[in-house]
Amino acid sequence: MTVWTPTDDGYADLSSHDTFADGAPHSTFARLRREDPLHWTEYAGGGNFWSVTRYEDITAMNKNTEVFSSARGIRMEDQTYEEYLARRTFQETDPPEHSKVRMKLLKAFSKTTMAQYEQDIRDLCADILDQALTKGEFDATKEIARQLPMRMLGRVVGLPEEDLPWLVEKGDALIANTDPDFTSHVLDKMQTDEFRMMPFNSPAGAELYVYAKELMEAKAKMGDTAGVLNLILAPAKDGSVITETEFRNFFCLLVAAGNDTTRYSIAAGIQAMCHQPELLEQMQAGGAIWETAADEIIRWATPALYFRRTATRDVEMHGKTIRKGDKVLYWFVSANRDEGYFDRPFHVNLHRSPNRHLSFGQFGPHVCLGMWLARLEVTVLFQELAKRIRHIEAAGPHKFLRSNFVGGIKELPVRVEAA
Amino acid sequence: MKVTWKLPDGGTVTAMADYGQSLMEAALANGVPGVLGECGGCLACAACHVYVDPHWAAKCGEAGEFEAAMLGLAEERRETSRLSCQIETHPDLDGLVLEVPKG
Repeated sequence: MTVWTPTDDGYADLSSHDTFADGAPHSTFARLRREDPLHWTEYAGGGNFWSVTRYEDITAMNKNTEVFSSARGIRMEDQTYEEYLARRTFQETDPPEHSKVRMKLLKAFSKTTMAQYEQDIRDLCADILDQALTKGEFDATKEIARQLPMRMLGRVVGLPEEDLPWLVEKGDALIANTDPDFTSHVLDKMQTDEFRMMPFNSPAGAELYVYAKELMEAKAKMGDTAGVLNLILAPAKDGSVITETEFRNFFCLLVAAGNDTTRYSIAAGIQAMCHQPELLEQMQAGGAIWETAADEIIRWATPALYFRRTATRDVEMHGKTIRKGDKVLYWFVSANRDEGYFDRPFHVNLHRSPNRHLSFGQFGPHVCLGMWLARLEVTVLFQELAKRIRHIEAAGPHKFLRSNFVGGIKELPVRVEAA
Repeated sequence: MKVTWKLPDGGTVTAMADYGQSLMEAALANGVPGVLGECGGCLACAACHVYVDPHWAAKCGEAGEFEAAMLGLAEERRETSRLSCQIETHPDLDGLVLEVPKG
């Protein structure tokens, strides 16, 4: 199956993880954008929610944090207030509280700081690609897409190389907590609430908690004050410091978010190359395409399918009333295919410019902190890949993650001819 | 109102901005390279950094507390640095000249 021809009938259940196991239900999103842009979505697993699917609605709402708050959770699953407090990071806060934490991290993730990693990324890509391409036929998600973000995360955060595979396994168990290939505790099928106070309601969260604590103790002992983790531990301007729980949650967020989103962007880009053979030629021609290619690949992928907000008061919209306390989902994956905004949205056009896609949650204060790293990794990976191959094609059907929160190709068999 | 952006490569973009827009929004609407505005004016990304032409700096006013803190993170900060999402279009600013930082 391909993501070019959606398999859903236009009436898919957006609240079901199974729906997304065949790729995002784009026929359903297209119908909702057309007929019912503020759709009251039934959710058997908890309180029903509003689905917002149009580009212009999401961009207008995303900056309106007073009305649409992140401070009651960012996924469709309901949380008790107690669970929310135990599991929250600055993702689950609003300005100005959110801004205080974000401010501490901006420099470490800025475009300029990230640019300093370019050679590191290029060296890692060379190593990863040289190993994968000699195989001729392989799973590109496993051998290429999964490798680069994991190893860069280690460098940026300052983690020991030998711990990385374990960390990525745990990161997968957290964020892909609805796919049985990645966790034995599938979120919507769990018989226990034992982990409800842990990040992502996952036992892996408990293990990462312990790891984070031991890591910081070891770093403190060695007098190692470098790296992103120490930035978050430093007192804010007003003297406030992060609590231990908040710190551990932040660590889990880094491991989860810094890992699979870029992976699935790379996987989607490689799959697009198999489907649109002209992309390889365009990449090989080089030049200005590298200023636009990464954003188009990331638009195409949209690994963060949605984020949720909660209404803080009643709001009228499209002739309906969003009530105070209602959950509102911004379906970025739909906005990024909105034919009312993008020209030929179902076509990968590496020259697309401007390309104001919403894969990073743009037009709001929560815009992805790692976006410059992600863009750089995607750019360099495809530059290095295009240099090394003459041809790439699918070697079998690909498989999507079972998740309505993270969209990604988890298995991508490809065949390549080296250059 | 008329706005001119001086680009790092020596070129310029001159365009009419609508009243009610911020200068970040005006830059996006006119495809000014180098002014991004990823966060939509929420003071979360510092990607719409510009230098206000010294002749216009007083009319544009000073950066607020949060904006100043964000500018502290911007590369190549100058005395007239502003985040253009925080400057609203206004008849008094007709003819405004801004410079886009390098990189």
